Amino acid sequence: MTFLDFQALSPLLALTATILVVLMIIAYNRNHKVVCTTTVIGLFITLATIPCVIGIDPVQVTQLLVIDRFALLLITLIALVTIAVSLLAYDYFDGNSGRPEEFYLLLMLSALGGMVLVSSTHFASFLLGLELLSISLYALISYPIKGLIPLEAAVKYLILSGVASATLLMGAALLYAGLGTLSFEQLGSGFYPEQATVQAYIVIGSALLLTGLAFKLSLVPFHMWTPDVYEGAPAPVTAFVATVSKGAIFALMVRFFVLTGAFEYQSILVGLSVFAIGSMLAGNLLALMQNNVKRMLAYSSIAHIGYLLVAFISGGITGGMALALEASIFFLVAYIVTTLGAFGIVTILSNSDESRDCDALENYTGLFWRRPALAGAFSIILFSLAGIPLTAGFIGKFYIIAAGVKGTLWLLIATLVVGSGIGIYYYLRVIYTMTLKSTSTEPIRIPVASGWVMLLVTATILTLGVYPTPFIDMLGDLAKSLT
Amino acid sequence: MILIALVSILFIGGIIAWIAEGWNRDWPRWVSLISIAVAALLLPSLFLLEPHLSATPATTANSWLILHSIPWIPKFGIAVLVGLDGLSLLMVTLTIFLGLIAVVSSWSEIDHRPGFFQFNIMWTLAGVVGVFIALDMFLFFFFWEVMLIPMYLLIAIWGHENRGYASMKFFLFTQISGLLLLVSILALVFANYGNTGEFTFSYFALLDANLSPDVAYWVMWGFFIAFVVKLPGFPFHTWLPDAHTQAPTAASVLLAGILLKTGAYGLIRFTVPLFPEAAVEIAPLAMLLGVAGVIYGAILAFAQSDFKRLVAYSSVSHMGFVLIGIYAWNQLSLQGSVMQMIAHGLSTAALFMIAGALQQRLHTRDMTAMGGLWVSMPRMGGITLFFIIASLGMPGLGNFVGEFLILMGTFKVNIPITVFAALGLITAAVYALYAMQQTFQGAPTQELDVEDFGAREISVMVLMMVGLVFLGLYPQPVFDIVDPVLAGLYQLTQSTPSWLGSL
Amino acid sequence: MNEASSSLIPLVIYFISVIGLVALVMCLSWVVGGRIKRRPATGEPFESGIVSVGTAQVPITVEFYMIAMFFVIFDLETVFIFAWAVAFEELGWPGYAAMVVFVVILVLALIYEWKSGALDWGIKTRTGLERK
Repeated sequence: MTFLDFQALSPLLALTATILVVLMIIAYNRNHKVVCTTTVIGLFITLATIPCVIGIDPVQVTQLLVIDRFALLLITLIALVTIAVSLLAYDYFDGNSGRPEEFYLLLMLSALGGMVLVSSTHFASFLLGLELLSISLYALISYPIKGLIPLEAAVKYLILSGVASATLLMGAALLYAGLGTLSFEQLGSGFYPEQATVQAYIVIGSALLLTGLAFKLSLVPFHMWTPDVYEGAPAPVTAFVATVSKGAIFALMVRFFVLTGAFEYQSILVGLSVFAIGSMLAGNLLALMQNNVKRMLAYSSIAHIGYLLVAFISGGITGGMALALEASIFFLVAYIVTTLGAFGIVTILSNSDESRDCDALENYTGLFWRRPALAGAFSIILFSLAGIPLTAGFIGKFYIIAAGVKGTLWLLIATLVVGSGIGIYYYLRVIYTMTLKSTSTEPIRIPVASGWVMLLVTATILTLGVYPTPFIDMLGDLAKSLT
Repeated sequence: MILIALVSILFIGGIIAWIAEGWNRDWPRWVSLISIAVAALLLPSLFLLEPHLSATPATTANSWLILHSIPWIPKFGIAVLVGLDGLSLLMVTLTIFLGLIAVVSSWSEIDHRPGFFQFNIMWTLAGVVGVFIALDMFLFFFFWEVMLIPMYLLIAIWGHENRGYASMKFFLFTQISGLLLLVSILALVFANYGNTGEFTFSYFALLDANLSPDVAYWVMWGFFIAFVVKLPGFPFHTWLPDAHTQAPTAASVLLAGILLKTGAYGLIRFTVPLFPEAAVEIAPLAMLLGVAGVIYGAILAFAQSDFKRLVAYSSVSHMGFVLIGIYAWNQLSLQGSVMQMIAHGLSTAALFMIAGALQQRLHTRDMTAMGGLWVSMPRMGGITLFFIIASLGMPGLGNFVGEFLILMGTFKVNIPITVFAALGLITAAVYALYAMQQTFQGAPTQELDVEDFGAREISVMVLMMVGLVFLGLYPQPVFDIVDPVLAGLYQLTQSTPSWLGSL
Repeated sequence: MNEASSSLIPLVIYFISVIGLVALVMCLSWVVGGRIKRRPATGEPFESGIVSVGTAQVPITVEFYMIAMFFVIFDLETVFIFAWAVAFEELGWPGYAAMVVFVVILVLALIYEWKSGALDWGIKTRTGLERK
């Protein structure tokens, strides 16, 4: 480890230091406001270290981690989402009779896991990041003590996540058995061996690995846990699970595929296509039947990861890699921002002291007339999820279709079009419900911090939708540097 | 620049109208009236423009009045490329005119959130104007979608009893066809990229794309279906009766008057010129769909007891003519189609306003509950008779010119189609007169104490009547404006250039 | 049969034998296992003895679990330190530095536990959870 390595790792180190500081603050002065403020300041310091790293990247820190533009982009994103979730959670837990302080600790630990995940180039760091991310999440999901629903969600997530990790480990073990290394890069150099036995190891290992990843990304047919967990977890945690957890794992998948070149195996691409088609269809169809906003968003997130895979798969077509990565990353960013916004709205309307979050569709009746700003923001977010112009979701979908057309993946594109068509129905249903005459006149308070978060999220969605050029240019360089 | 100003005025006017609601509930409608009026003031200067040759791509027969381009997303060759030629000019004029009328017609109709209502009206208008001037395929798609959302909200919030279902159906139909359009646009762009190695969404560059016949054929279907859904052509018309019936008056006016025209515009501007060979291949089928629409729409119109629904089905019938005219693709039929688009825009918008006025007064659209209204509302009755007659194609009014030219043009291409389409003229008379009979004539069903048309309504109606008479008696100015464009588009398709001599 | 599929044979055999073994065990336990006739006293812990009183599911105070968990956590600390101690010479000062960081973090965690009252016995004496 040289000084350069430490400099490259400074975002991760800053976050770790913040965690320890917050730990001590909780020990000596248990105060919600102080803890939340420190968390946010620490995350901003983490962000502030990123410009110091940009000049020196890419840096390979031992075999385990690489800090490059891609990792930095996702680290920035994770830090920003964590800040947003902390602020949302502050208002969510404000006035709570329980002890919300440790929430921030677990949140930051989870974010740290995500950051390790996006920069890992080795199965050891991959697993370390994954477990750090997941184990904190188990506790986060069941954090508020309100009956059995969060507990059920946490146990479900614990068991299925454990199964997924085990599958993943078995896959890694098989790859190790075949090639004798755990580093992605070294795996890549031997990924196309002559001997058929080794090839069999690789294909089966990759299949198990993909299964594990599909669990975490909640791709059909490994999606069963998603709606229950999303519904049961407190709204800010749902926002975190849907954005950081999925985003980090997808980033890891990108890294694995780029470094090993696993794209060349036709069977892997076929497997991914099956996941994608299943997710797009099942996600959208099942979302149709939901009367619970959180469950609906859960199914819609399943479908969105399906869309994301369409772009990803097109990377397997000759010469399609750069565009595929660009499209995937743009869509991922749009998805993360939009999903954060959607669950942010649910968070604002909910409070941790109530027995349930505000997630039944009828709770949204007349929101347009009770809180026009909130309903307007939610409409923009839903339009973005539906992929309608002026929003980030549109450019994202445009990118996906562009990548798909370039890769001539007609079946996948047809499924995407059908899926999006179905999707419009249930997104519009929410907007329609918001426009109905209100039955309740109870005032809705928008807390200051959450209000600012939503304003920024909405502004980002619109900016990415109307003038994405600077971001696209940046992604273009990034994708080129990756391949 | 003037084009961008035109769209911006509408966009910004909408936002101001929304904000103005917070200050005074009467202000939003004034704000939108004034901003549309300002936009309308820009129009005469456009009519004075001469085609300027320098900026004009050679392929489009030098018919462009304005062309303007600003880079937007250069990486994909996406630019804010806007242009105006005779066809766009007519359509933009129609849009602004009907926008003005829509605002005036719903002057006192909306109590619930008037600011947001005006916002949606203005944004729909802005989207439609954008569609008519956009020449970058991405920008075109952008505006294509922008006009849908406010229209959806107009129907969903201010619509009648079954608005949820109708608005959802409207949105699903148009949105799915929109996605199909997006995929087709991208397929076209990538096919062009494969040939030339250059990313571009520019209409002019894509006109020169050398597509393999297979690709052209399939991509053409995407464009065709997207536009035919909007037109609406048989069998994709089912969203229209619901949407039109449930929409508030102003939204019905905009839907029937201008939103349907975007489909026809898309076919004329994009589908046929971009894929001339493929378009020829499906021309008989398209014309058949047109005839089916003409006759099927007419039969269903006759079967309705809901006045608005009847007018809605008559739109299906009339737009069937436009589809036939476009795919006959010769000078006469295209002139006819353009004329029909404008005349239908005026006459149907007026009929929807009458339907709205009836509903406001009688609280029903059911014609069986009406009858003998002439007694209590003679002025309204007379005006209705005028538009009913216009709609059934009386010589001397705009609709007749349109339908006649379409039939003339089609006769040269396909006689059986023409024969069947001509049946539409008879059926139109049947349902139109039936509607008149059910509502204003016959014995009054009940004692009614209702207001007749007031000065505001009459002045709007007279404006539209003058327009229709003008189009019917002296249609030449319209043809003068649009002919160079049609000639240019025709030249692009280059199938039988011989008729150019007849210009 | 080509090389690729023939090389898969060991895996296929392995796969089948795993399933077969599981199936075999399950069948055996069904065949060999005794049949129980349900009688009123079947569920009793001592069918022929004294009837039991109360339930065995007595709530045990949470402190026991806490202590057990702390034991596991700090026991694992020893494992890491031991692993480091074995390679002390090879790792040198960097290894020492890493270990110091590791121990410091654990000490901080211990302070946290102590201050939040996790080491106190009984809820009444637990002071660290009050909010300020």
